[in-house]
Amino acid sequence: MFGKLDWSAIPFDQPIPLITSLLIVVVMLGVLILITLKGWWPYLWGEWITSVDHKRIGVMYCLLGIVMLIRGFADAIMMRTQQAVAINGPGYLPPDHYDQIFTAHGTIMILFGAMPLVIGIMNFLVPLQLGVRDVAFPTFNSVGFWLTASGALLVNVSLFIGEFARTGWLPYPPLSEATYTPGVGVDYYLWAVQISGVGTLITGINIVTTILKMRCPGMSYLRMPIFCWTALASCLLIVAVFPILTATLAMLTLDRYLGWHYFTNTLGGNPMMFVNLIWAWGHPEVYILVLPAFGIFSEIFPTFSGKPLFGYRSMVAATLFICIISMMVWLHHFFTMGAGAAVNTFFGISSSIIAVGTGVKVYNWIFTMYGGRVRFDTPMLWSMGFIFTFCIGGLTGVLLAIPPADFLTHNSMFLVAHFHNVIVGGVVFGVFAGIEFWFPKAFGFRLHPRWGKAAFWLAFVGFWVTFTPLYILGLEGMTRRLQHINIVAWTPWLYVSVAGVGILILGVIAQVIQLVVSIRDRDKLRDVTGDPWDGRSLEWATPSPPPFFNFAVMPNVEGEEAYWGIKLRAVETQQLSPQPDYQPIEMPVNSPVGIYTAFFAFVFGFAMIWHIWWLAILAFVAAYAGFVVFAWRDVHEFHVPAEEVARVDQARREARTALLARMAEQGALP
Amino acid sequence: MSDTPLPASVETIRRVRADPRLGRRGHGSEGPAKGAGHGDTGPASKRIIVGYGFWIFLLSDIVMFSCFFAAFAVQSHATAGGPTMAQIVETPRVALETAALLLSSYTCGLSFAATNARSKLWTQVFLLATGLLGLAFVGMELQEFIGLAARGFTPQRSGMLTAFFGLVGLHGVHVSLAGLWLLTMMAQVQLKGFRPEIIHRLICFNLFWHALDIVWIGIFTIVYLMGGLT
Amino acid sequence: MSHSDTDPNLHSEDRDHREDHAPGDEPEESAGHWILNANLGLGLSILLTVTAFVLAATHLVYAPSIPVALLVLAIAQMGVHLVFFLHVTTGPDNTNNVLALAFGILVVFLLVVGSIWIMAHLSHNMMPMPPDQMQSMQQ
Repeated sequence: MFGKLDWSAIPFDQPIPLITSLLIVVVMLGVLILITLKGWWPYLWGEWITSVDHKRIGVMYCLLGIVMLIRGFADAIMMRTQQAVAINGPGYLPPDHYDQIFTAHGTIMILFGAMPLVIGIMNFLVPLQLGVRDVAFPTFNSVGFWLTASGALLVNVSLFIGEFARTGWLPYPPLSEATYTPGVGVDYYLWAVQISGVGTLITGINIVTTILKMRCPGMSYLRMPIFCWTALASCLLIVAVFPILTATLAMLTLDRYLGWHYFTNTLGGNPMMFVNLIWAWGHPEVYILVLPAFGIFSEIFPTFSGKPLFGYRSMVAATLFICIISMMVWLHHFFTMGAGAAVNTFFGISSSIIAVGTGVKVYNWIFTMYGGRVRFDTPMLWSMGFIFTFCIGGLTGVLLAIPPADFLTHNSMFLVAHFHNVIVGGVVFGVFAGIEFWFPKAFGFRLHPRWGKAAFWLAFVGFWVTFTPLYILGLEGMTRRLQHINIVAWTPWLYVSVAGVGILILGVIAQVIQLVVSIRDRDKLRDVTGDPWDGRSLEWATPSPPPFFNFAVMPNVEGEEAYWGIKLRAVETQQLSPQPDYQPIEMPVNSPVGIYTAFFAFVFGFAMIWHIWWLAILAFVAAYAGFVVFAWRDVHEFHVPAEEVARVDQARREARTALLARMAEQGALP
Repeated sequence: MSDTPLPASVETIRRVRADPRLGRRGHGSEGPAKGAGHGDTGPASKRIIVGYGFWIFLLSDIVMFSCFFAAFAVQSHATAGGPTMAQIVETPRVALETAALLLSSYTCGLSFAATNARSKLWTQVFLLATGLLGLAFVGMELQEFIGLAARGFTPQRSGMLTAFFGLVGLHGVHVSLAGLWLLTMMAQVQLKGFRPEIIHRLICFNLFWHALDIVWIGIFTIVYLMGGLT
Repeated sequence: MSHSDTDPNLHSEDRDHREDHAPGDEPEESAGHWILNANLGLGLSILLTVTAFVLAATHLVYAPSIPVALLVLAIAQMGVHLVFFLHVTTGPDNTNNVLALAFGILVVFLLVVGSIWIMAHLSHNMMPMPPDQMQSMQQ
């Protein structure tokens, strides 16, 4: 009846996961009870859960990403402390549990932390920057988000029911084959990543179509904000490589469930093919993450330097260059696997070449600041911290790209330090910069600047104190994923690293305090103009937060930096453009299909993990039925009457007029 | 801080006035180029957005197939003492399967021509023909698989058979799912008529069916014909 | 703050034909034109398919060249399908469709050729194994 599921799946004998998961269950129940008691369900259901508004979905993505980031950070704390106490001893985490922790840490941080954050920011921003009202497929957007969320839920369910994979975040066969890992851990990994991968693919298709087919009048390719270019490149990569992940994991699933021989080490299976295929996805994946972060920095540097971006066209070229070359370097993740000199040389050179594109970008950012009037607000601090951190990470990456050197550093702590250096320094710093920058646009008030700066400095210093020792340990020969350590000489560095984690914890606390303080002081931090940072692209032309239809009348773009041009004209003539003729607007209606599909995807995944076949079939049929019902609906859109559009836009125009008047009073106008 | 003036924009105006050479440099075309397909003149119509989005999805689907093709290429000699590819190919069956799928592509194209002529009857007739030909294809493929399994040539036997069943089976699953979609579409056309959104879906279905035929060209060439060479 | 006076979204339905073209869609032509088109596509496809099956089954051409010939025929037939069934053209209204297609082909090429190259190198560098040992590993 219940397949492999029985009471032994609950970890009664392991206090750490048991207590953690009980705590999570209690907190979640508490939140649900609170929502019920306060009567918030209709609001949540109508305004968020079934919403197809790209801004709402973007915010929900970011929320999911932040929660998962904290979950992954908890794993990181356990790993660092375990290594520091397990010197010539067992430490406090048995190998069985420790292996699950490093697997969960990698999976969660990349696929359920960084990806939702990056996708969330793209979702929120791309239509606003392009001057349109929504993404190409709003309902699918909601489906994509909820699928990602149910994947994340599956990973977290594994904490309480069963176990997670113990194979590392990329489950290499033959270890991950049913022969050597018979439990449900790898199955949890497979189905969680598969389900969220489908969600990611939907988003990729959606944003590519939005950027290529839905731009406001006059927004030609070379007038698009650079963030849109990086989002386009990133989503093209999603479309190109996420199917590889799907295919590879499907093959491993067939091996595990049906005894096929794709990656087995017997009967003609080829485990190395898995390594080859998974990295053909895995390498572009890091560029999927970092390209939008590059885009965020490229928006922040011009804004806070008061200058246009230096070398806009070279930036576009470098972005597309990275997009293509990133699909030609994947072998550098397995130089040591035994390919010959010709193959290793080719991929070594291509890996070094890809640094050129990033180098172009770094110089462009520096030259953007040069001669500008730089303001050191929190987003700018994160951006400047990024340049420094990312450059060091890039340089160590070039070391790893040289095959002979890689034979020494492969699988060592040096590698661990390197990829944290680029992913934390690039993606996480970028996401935090973006959140600080666009938070007022999303919620109508700014984040508290003092606490933001404190959080930045703690994170920056904490990062370096944590990871510099890992570089040294790697060069001294420490390999990654060690559950205990037998070399006493490494002890001091491990202790320093734990101290760094302590600083990072303070950084996280500062970040949380910043949010709480900002919500408390929101009236003081209110952004009434819609343009709190003196911005340059179209999202700042809307009020904060933007109305659900974004633009009362679609903007007409006449040059690069669309909003900047509009603003200069308004400042110079000291008046707004003439009041337009408002038309009714068509907007897509909300739809529960996203949460419906995701619910059955979750049930399907859970049933497959535990071999509950009848439930899997049931879930599949229910999902198909839901699809048909959704396709059958007659009403797709509703009309916003012209009077309502006019009313909303009047408020915006009044705020802008007041701003102009205030500037005139202060004698700031030319 | 809402009460700060806009220093950078004011500064820019001052500087440009002092030195006109600093005026805004325009990148990009001077005006939107009409008819260039770049969407310069505003968002495209729903029909194009839907068609293009599905096109992008198809590309990703083709990439997924290419992984299974790569696996087949790598494992095509990993017979582990089991049968070789040449021993399991039945050329007449493959020829029939190919004929069925090619004809279904043809009828699918005709159904869309009928849709554009707004003929419900002929649209349904050709869609039905497409579905029946697809059914014949899937039937023949199933028969082949069952026959192989009866001889003990299951995917569990060797890496080569795994890659073979994986690639051909993935295509078969696609055709079956497309058949399910086709039934849904026929019901929609019958009950709802040629509404814009129905036509958009027919465009997508058309694309999907033709793409499956294109994948089959790769399969019959690489798996069956080249694999069958001795 | 400056907006155009018209909202293009409201009028976009009548603009699509000169501006842009959805993949697989049929531009405005008579039904007869498209039936002719499909007949032509079917005819060419049958020709190419039959040639491929005949080449593979007989010894009409030099044997080592058969795989290459088959691949060329397959690629040609894919082209026929793209042109006659999917209506991909080189016109300006198709630029985006063709670019996306080219991107997809590039990805497929990199993936398949890269995988084959890498995996061939790996097995080439494997330690030679006597057949009996190979046999024992397969049990």
